[in-house]
Amino acid sequence: MDILSTYYNLIPVSLAQGAVYAFVAIGVMIPFRLLSLPDLTAEGSFPLGAAVAAALLANGMGIMPAMGLALLAGALAGALTAVIHVFFKVTSLLAGIIVLTMMFSINIRVMGKPNTALFSHDTLFTILLNADGGAPITQFAVLSVMLAALCLLLYWFLHTELGLALRAVGSNQTMARAQGLSTTLYIIAGLAGAGALAALGGSVMAQYQSYADVNMGVGVLVIGLAATILGEAILGGSTLARQILAPVVGSLLYFQFVAIALSLGFKPSDLKLLTGLFVLFALALPMIRSKFKRNPSR
Amino acid sequence: MTAAAKQAGVIVSGLQKTFFPGTVQEKRALDGVSFSLAPGEFAIVIGSNGAGKSTMLNAISGEVQVDEGTISIAGKAIEQWPTHKRAGYISRVFQDPMQGTAASLTIEENLAISARRGKRRSFRTGLHAAEREEFRSALEPLGLGLENRLKDRVSLLSGGQRQSLTLIMATLQAPQLLLLDEHTAALDPRAADMVIRSTLSAVEDRQITTLMITHNMEQAIAHGDRLLMMHEGRVVLDLAKDEKAKLTTADLVTRFHDVVSDRMLLS
Repeated sequence: MDILSTYYNLIPVSLAQGAVYAFVAIGVMIPFRLLSLPDLTAEGSFPLGAAVAAALLANGMGIMPAMGLALLAGALAGALTAVIHVFFKVTSLLAGIIVLTMMFSINIRVMGKPNTALFSHDTLFTILLNADGGAPITQFAVLSVMLAALCLLLYWFLHTELGLALRAVGSNQTMARAQGLSTTLYIIAGLAGAGALAALGGSVMAQYQSYADVNMGVGVLVIGLAATILGEAILGGSTLARQILAPVVGSLLYFQFVAIALSLGFKPSDLKLLTGLFVLFALALPMIRSKFKRNPSR
Repeated sequence: MTAAAKQAGVIVSGLQKTFFPGTVQEKRALDGVSFSLAPGEFAIVIGSNGAGKSTMLNAISGEVQVDEGTISIAGKAIEQWPTHKRAGYISRVFQDPMQGTAASLTIEENLAISARRGKRRSFRTGLHAAEREEFRSALEPLGLGLENRLKDRVSLLSGGQRQSLTLIMATLQAPQLLLLDEHTAALDPRAADMVIRSTLSAVEDRQITTLMITHNMEQAIAHGDRLLMMHEGRVVLDLAKDEKAKLTTADLVTRFHDVVSDRMLLS
């Protein structure tokens, strides 16, 4: 009973947290699923978005321009990974690791220090809700509206001529070139878009917790991946709408599991191990299944 | 484009390509390939393995950058262009049925992408409802029922179906040059026969300038207006339609051995 009531109390907060991370989860899903290009830049572009937004807000800039510039910075980080990958023929994984490593220094430069507090500044939540940032469930409502708008925008874009072409590049680069598509440009644009979303997530996170820290990106990629896999397990990735919604639904669900794990007595520091094990399990599942199919006697 | 430029057809001159230059694996794949095609001409390319047929096609399409030589289509020198820019003039069907289509997209989405080959893409909708009719009537002659499966993902199709779809995508807008790289080699005999028949009707009815590589000697003799035989990175035999018409498969094999042994004697 104690566990249940602890979890019950955690539901609103975990929903809000899940909604904040859903932005990055979409930013992780795009390269992995739509571009078939595993990319780790989110670990750097998420704190970059937080750092840029926090630094600008702390300097008195308005919320919309601060978030817009954070988004732009994330797009540049994503584009940099793509340029390293496409022009220097470095694998996308390594290109992303190089960029996220460099981002650590850049993020400290942006803030002038390893972290920035926003407690005495206006944020998205203090403006829209009330001066203390609102209750978790109202924060969740605000974030849900933003996420719905984002998903609709993405759905619309992926049905335009350019969006369709982007998906073709992700599906088959040889075909794409033969159909007149510059795979180079589409990969740069795709990773820039993913970086922009991860940075948008970072800027929302900085305002949500009124705090940006240079280390806040650690583990964010695996969370995004876990959310995508979880969402796909529930919705399936069979249509574009489901593929877009998967990371959002997955992220909300993932933080429910986190809340349950915490109510069961796990420490917050155990969560990365549990998440890692979950992703590992999800990745290993097809192999485990086929092993069992081949040896039905076991 | 002026009528005179269209008249120009395809002119390939002095293509040279050496892979891994300066290493032990150095391989001269193209050693001065030259030929030209009149507009609407259908040329068949034959030759043994390693003769440079696929490298030549890849050089024309842009996937392989040549060391030397020029390629002109409809009066434009294209040898410096990247593949995607050449796609405005050239379309192709690959040997591997998986290469020509985007598996995770639907049939109609694949067709919509090729319907805009060589055109500027924007934030306009990528697939108009009105286009579906056009796609249906393009797919119908295949007789595969694909016209009723427009919303199916291409990953659900068989190799033969995917190759047929690639062919329709390549000819939906008539290209200045169609490249077919042994596009029936990976298919079972029935599917191969079907794809070859669709190819002939598309190419011959619409007078599309075409280069087709094949290993099938009977096909090489039965179809096309020209026969090009390649050996060691060169075109060693170039027969026009009337000469080609007199050939039998046995003749062709003899001609091949004659040419090859002559060249060996000379070198």
